[in-house]
Amino acid sequence: MVEKLVLVLTPVFAFFVGIFLEGFKRKMVARIHRRYGPPLHQPLLDIIKLLSKKENISHGVMFDLGPVILVGASILTVLFLPLPGFKQLTPHGDLIAFLYIMVIGSLGMALGAGESGNPNASIGIARALTLMLGYELPLIIAGNTLVLKYGTTDLTKFMTLQSGFHWNLFFLPLTAIAGFIATYGAMGEHPFDIFVAPQEVATGPMVEYGGKHLGLLMIGHAIQVYIETAFFTVLFLGGAANILTFILKQLGVIIVMTLFDTVLPRFKIENAVRYFWRWPTIIALLGLFIVYIGG
Amino acid sequence: MNFSLLMILLTPFFGGLLAYAGSALHKSVRNIFFLIFLFLPFVELYQYANKTIDNFYYLTVLGQNLSLGINSLSFMLSILFALIFLLAGIFLLFEFDKSDDGDLAVLEFSFLEGAVFGVLFARDILSFFIFFELIAVLVFFLVGKGYKDAHIAQPKYITWALIGANSMLAAIMLLFFKTGSFGYSEIAGYLSTAPTSIVLTTFVLFAIGFLVEASTMPLHVWAPITYTEAPDSVSVVLSSVVKKVGLYLFTLFTFSIFGLNLFSKIMPKIFGSPLILYILQWVGAFTIIVGTFVAIVQEDAKKILAWSSIAQSGYILLGLSLGTSLGVAGGLLHIINHSIFKGILFFVVGGVIYRTGTKDLSELGGLIKKMPVSFIAMLFAIIATAGIPPLNGFASKYLIYEALIQNKEPILLTVALLGGTGSFMYVYRLIHSIFLGQLPKKYESVKEVPILMQIPMLVLSLLALLFGILPGIPMYFVSKAEAFLGFEPIKYNLTGFPEQSGLHAVNILAISLALTGGFVVAALIFYLLPRARKVHQLDNYYAGEVLTEDVKYNYSFGFYSFFDDIIRPFNEWSVDKIYEDFTGFVKTIGDYLRRVYTGNLETYVSLGIIVLTIFSLIYILGGVLW
Repeated sequence: MVEKLVLVLTPVFAFFVGIFLEGFKRKMVARIHRRYGPPLHQPLLDIIKLLSKKENISHGVMFDLGPVILVGASILTVLFLPLPGFKQLTPHGDLIAFLYIMVIGSLGMALGAGESGNPNASIGIARALTLMLGYELPLIIAGNTLVLKYGTTDLTKFMTLQSGFHWNLFFLPLTAIAGFIATYGAMGEHPFDIFVAPQEVATGPMVEYGGKHLGLLMIGHAIQVYIETAFFTVLFLGGAANILTFILKQLGVIIVMTLFDTVLPRFKIENAVRYFWRWPTIIALLGLFIVYIGG
Repeated sequence: MNFSLLMILLTPFFGGLLAYAGSALHKSVRNIFFLIFLFLPFVELYQYANKTIDNFYYLTVLGQNLSLGINSLSFMLSILFALIFLLAGIFLLFEFDKSDDGDLAVLEFSFLEGAVFGVLFARDILSFFIFFELIAVLVFFLVGKGYKDAHIAQPKYITWALIGANSMLAAIMLLFFKTGSFGYSEIAGYLSTAPTSIVLTTFVLFAIGFLVEASTMPLHVWAPITYTEAPDSVSVVLSSVVKKVGLYLFTLFTFSIFGLNLFSKIMPKIFGSPLILYILQWVGAFTIIVGTFVAIVQEDAKKILAWSSIAQSGYILLGLSLGTSLGVAGGLLHIINHSIFKGILFFVVGGVIYRTGTKDLSELGGLIKKMPVSFIAMLFAIIATAGIPPLNGFASKYLIYEALIQNKEPILLTVALLGGTGSFMYVYRLIHSIFLGQLPKKYESVKEVPILMQIPMLVLSLLALLFGILPGIPMYFVSKAEAFLGFEPIKYNLTGFPEQSGLHAVNILAISLALTGGFVVAALIFYLLPRARKVHQLDNYYAGEVLTEDVKYNYSFGFYSFFDDIIRPFNEWSVDKIYEDFTGFVKTIGDYLRRVYTGNLETYVSLGIIVLTIFSLIYILGGVLW
């Protein structure tokens, strides 16, 4: 009963954690810029503002469905991540299924943005998908390394096997670094914010979205932030024993990412893919090799 | 009623002739005969659902009894292929509606189905070879009725089909001279004690023949152009049936006639598979990655599908050649699933060509508002192609991935997973350039395809969804086929796969339900808020630029041009180029040889004298020197 209740409430929890992480990030960026920065709950205020707009425009049914699919699929994805003490839906799907579920939201978003007919949106998506092919390679190799090490694809087991500071960050540092760079790319932070690139393609896929559509996209994005950081935490930072440590570890991931994000310029898309296929991949392969030799 | 296998085999031939004769009366007579006889095999096959027949003799050649038979593997595939033939047949009638080739196309199409049944039911290498070559000939004729470059595709196809045929023929002759028999069981019996060299030679020769038809690298050269230039209904059959016939024969020969025990006896094992199967796994992986990457940068709708089809047969080959229960289950399930979703894609693209007359992606766009049914069908198909739950591509790819994990092959797993991501890129490009983006003015009066043409795509779309959410249905057939091939069938239930050795449990119904729940929540938020106002497609943000119907921006040509830049260095090494170099080499030799044939009698005489002298010298000196 408790488990089911937790399951139903997880998306809400994920949403608020995501909002908190985003707000924290904005505050931190401001402090690095020597500004005061908005309050922590500013992303929430933004979403409320957008959802309460009186006038919304639409380019068609798929355009409307894009944000809906993004939020719906994000909710689904959250349910397949284990929480401390709760298996959630992981008995019904493992790491491989998770990787594929994670894509549903991007697909919906891409289809919705595609129907807007704005070339900026199409370019943005073309870049986003190409970038995905880039960061997936090191991410897949890093994931395979863990699968090879533990002999299982169960995310819950990943968490329990790392308990007591048997973190993969300490035991497989190379794999963890590759996984971090890949996750960082997946979050679209500088220098990998090529598909959003406000100065080039006017925020890419989001260019035509405003009002309640954009509000939904931001809800989806908040949940995605939770997913990406939680995924990294589960794979490499040993999960957590309780919710508070879990959130703290996610916060740690965000802090490190923001440190890079604030100071770096932007790659060209070709350079980004080449980068991903070179350094993180080599690091990940080395990590794989070590695990392979070691056992 | 009781139908013998020979009757099922002859039904399509008979139907084709009847339809062709009927065309003399009226077109509709032809069409009715054609469709009835395409439907009949379902009725006839029904009684073989749970039967295994091994030897049904129908002819005696060279003192040998040629025999037919049916088992769980060939039953599964014959039902699937009959369905594809029926649906593609409906499509074919529309495609050739206004063409003069229609009557012949109907005849050849029916014959093709008969030939496919022939290969499925054959229980000796001579019958299978005859029917297999009949397929090649019929495909050759059918392809010629396609698009304007079909005459380039035809010789490419037939050349490769002949390469495959000759290599199989060599193996067949070798085996016949050794055993004096054509029957599968006699040959299997002989091979189990045969010397290693014969086993290896015949296996490689057979594999070349099968894999040409399956269009795996490096034997795929004919496939892209043939799939592109063939009529759309024939492309469906090529990708969903003919390719699978090659893979069926590969499965049958590898596991039933040669057998895993034989391979493990004569060669070392690498990662749990015999060496030759391990090499084939890499062939599969190579096919996946190259097929996917090339598909990404294509500009022609059918060419994307062709390369995608090549990549997907890489998955099937990879799964099958793992030689484990999981891998073979994944490969067989992917045969079914790929036939279904690639069928939808070819049908939808065919329908778009039927309405707009072009398959050039940069000419199309924005058709979602005009052809919503086709859009939904293609949406289902691309989700399946990318292997995303809850459509059917997921379950089979999942099994292949888990089989790779079970065999502890991280590099092959990486390649397979990366191919999955890449497929996401090309399927998105396909749906975006056809249905999304801006609608060109010339297509403003385009209508949805006729209802009868929608039937093939809708039937397959529903199957894709059904087999996706409830993989237990196709697994029922797959597990029986596995049992026939001598594997312990994997455990499955209606909604997914339970926890078992090498496989983490997955429940696709649970995923679908959670997804639906997420959608409902998101849709509630969305639709309870004020309604959105519809705007024109050009009422957009263009950074201050004002666009009109005449001057507009649409991003559709060179969609992944930057990706093209990344992989261009590798294009230098394409397999086609190697073959072209080889052709050039042969031509050069031919040039030199031609200089000898001057047409002058004196040259020939002097040549003859020279050759004679050399041979006599060798003959005379031979005794002294050696």
